Amino acid sequence: MMRPVLVRRDRVLPAVQGFGFLVGIFVALVLGAILLLVSDSNPVEVYERMFDSAFRGTDSLSRTLERATPLALTGLAVAVAGSMGLWNIGAEGQMMAGATLATGVAMMTDGLSGPLLIAVMLSCGVVGGMVLMLGPALARSHLGVNEIITTLMLVYVSIRIVEWLEVGRWKDPDSLGFPRIEEVPGQASLPQLFGRANVGVLVALGLLIVFSLAVSRTAWGYELRLAGSSPNTARYAGVSLRRKVLTALLLSGGIAGLAGAVQLTGTEVRLTPGLSNGFGFSGIIVAALALMRPSGVAVVAFVFGAVQVGGQSIQTLGVSAAISTILQAMILFGALTAVVFFNYRIRWAGSGDGSDV
Amino acid sequence: MSSKIFSKLLVLMAVFALLATACGNDDDADTQTTGADSTATAMAESTPMADATPMAESTPMAESTPMADATPMAEEMDDEVVAGFVYVGPVGDAGWTWAHDQGRRYVETSTGAVTRFVQSVPEEGPDFRSTVVDLIENENADVVFATSFGYMDTMEELSGVYPNVVFEHASGYKKNDTNFGNYFGRMYQPRYLSGMAAGALTEANQIGYVAAFPIPEVIRGINAFTLGAQRVNPDVEVHVTWTFTWFDPAVEGDSASALLEAGADVIAMHQDSTAPGLAAESAGARWVSYNSDMSAFAPDAFITAPVWNWGPYYERVIDAVRDGSYTPGAYWGGMADGIVDLAPLAADVPADVVAEIEEVRAEIEDGSWDVFTGEITDQDGNVQVAAGEVMDDGAMLGMEFFVEGVVGSIG
Repeated sequence: MMRPVLVRRDRVLPAVQGFGFLVGIFVALVLGAILLLVSDSNPVEVYERMFDSAFRGTDSLSRTLERATPLALTGLAVAVAGSMGLWNIGAEGQMMAGATLATGVAMMTDGLSGPLLIAVMLSCGVVGGMVLMLGPALARSHLGVNEIITTLMLVYVSIRIVEWLEVGRWKDPDSLGFPRIEEVPGQASLPQLFGRANVGVLVALGLLIVFSLAVSRTAWGYELRLAGSSPNTARYAGVSLRRKVLTALLLSGGIAGLAGAVQLTGTEVRLTPGLSNGFGFSGIIVAALALMRPSGVAVVAFVFGAVQVGGQSIQTLGVSAAISTILQAMILFGALTAVVFFNYRIRWAGSGDGSDV
Repeated sequence: MSSKIFSKLLVLMAVFALLATACGNDDDADTQTTGADSTATAMAESTPMADATPMAESTPMAESTPMADATPMAEEMDDEVVAGFVYVGPVGDAGWTWAHDQGRRYVETSTGAVTRFVQSVPEEGPDFRSTVVDLIENENADVVFATSFGYMDTMEELSGVYPNVVFEHASGYKKNDTNFGNYFGRMYQPRYLSGMAAGALTEANQIGYVAAFPIPEVIRGINAFTLGAQRVNPDVEVHVTWTFTWFDPAVEGDSASALLEAGADVIAMHQDSTAPGLAAESAGARWVSYNSDMSAFAPDAFITAPVWNWGPYYERVIDAVRDGSYTPGAYWGGMADGIVDLAPLAADVPADVVAEIEEVRAEIEDGSWDVFTGEITDQDGNVQVAAGEVMDDGAMLGMEFFVEGVVGSIG
């Protein structure tokens, strides 16, 4: 019996990869056009609106950047772990943990000046994300417990904690009985760059550059990748796998936690159970599309943000929420599939051939 | 909510990627999970507050005097009004969002206004803001109706950015003096009547109440329902569970089943899906639905429902926007206005109870009596409203206690 097996291509030029990304999006747009025609929408009009609302003019561009910022940070978080073959599925929860700790500290240190308070809150974001990751990281490095499950489970724990704080201890007495946590102090909002884009864009961009260089150009990054791709070789070369697993996961959690704090100080005004808003989960796909390379995350996050902005805006044209969601998913799925096929080829393997996989 | 479904898709895609890459790997990426589960966070519907002063009675828009040149819409009077609606759930929920969308359809025919709607818009994150901006800039909306509590702060902000557009927010408490108002209805009135019907039909004297969030609006509804049930059946107890979601059929259905297993034989709800009714129907129990007449979904279980009727209010606002007479208010209309009502009663509600419900309805509608009239004691036996006194709107809007007979806790 023949069955298909994916085999990594020997050589993939970066330019070819970018081309694959575009081909994937193009195919998805063609398929999406059929979907739109079937659901009685004009594809030209819909795509034009998507493009305009995501790119035309500084205001539209700023909306795309507003979304790309948390996507880039969570994408980077997942990619850092992914560089050594680890899966942080719980960036959504680490975002909440980071935002929660940042809120708590802001409540206690109300008197601080703006820049100092922002610095403290962002640092707390990192710490909060790391604290939530500590359990899964230790369990993985010392006991071999699968981090996919533990990180995912903690997402719900951290969201429930915020719900509990909201109706209980942190309930704002001035909210007329509504369970809402009080707003973070006014001086703790990140400065706006233009339109809806805030300084968080620069924070994300800076971190992406630092981690791109660290992963691809430093000994630390080499060991990280080596430990992921061939643990035995790494061990032979004297790399402590435990330490590497621990650092990669903690850094991943810290970056996701920072994403939460950036979201809190950048676009939101208060901590709510919905603050993470799916960005943590979307970060997984951003990292996957970027093939776990921090350098690819920026581009993918920007495209992803644009697709989300565009997808939301076409609803006012009468495209239903369901069609819009399918369209967004198709575009991303198309890009992902194309990238996979540009990096792997299919080989048909016979059942007797044990050399595959 | 779309972002939730989206997240699930994304995780599925991630797993696809994981499988694809794992093929070439001898590492231990062996277990995948796809449980990007629902964590509905929405703080959807809620309660209105007049800014500082409790509004004496409802303040219908029609009463406001036209303000010649100060009116925001003056220069657009010749065009047809474009009304944008933003919903927190899907229009197919048969509940809260469906009821608002019925109102939108109503004004489309009654006023000739052009309407646009966007559904399943999350309350957190950038979606809501960009949706409203799109409605205004691309669709030239003259008035935007936002139908969930969590939209409030963004509505306030945008009302300053677009002074020529009218912003109307359901269930919030913020407003300004020119172009931003809020509206809601006295749902506690038909809830009381539905409680009377439920109290008459429970044999176990135990009613289960599936409730969304511990906020004044929901608490007020539970209390009104309980007082109504006690009026016809003094022994009745109302057991409350919180779901922390407005719309999540699975969670709502599970909560109803748990209440039924604990001994309840009637289910009431403050939720937006029909799932609690389906649970009651399959258990042979009875059901008081909410938002709309949901009898078609569980015909044997259905008793009645307190329902919304938003159309006439939307019509009034759109007419005022068209003729330039709009001024923002904090509207909290009751059964007399028709914005809230009671769905038809099941055939087996005893005739004497039906007659009593009609009597009480008449008293509520002519204003001679209202639900929170003393003496009312809370769960701990403290008198909250003295005999003969009537609770004022401010106290109702900030209600944070359960009446005697409710089993459950707040927060």
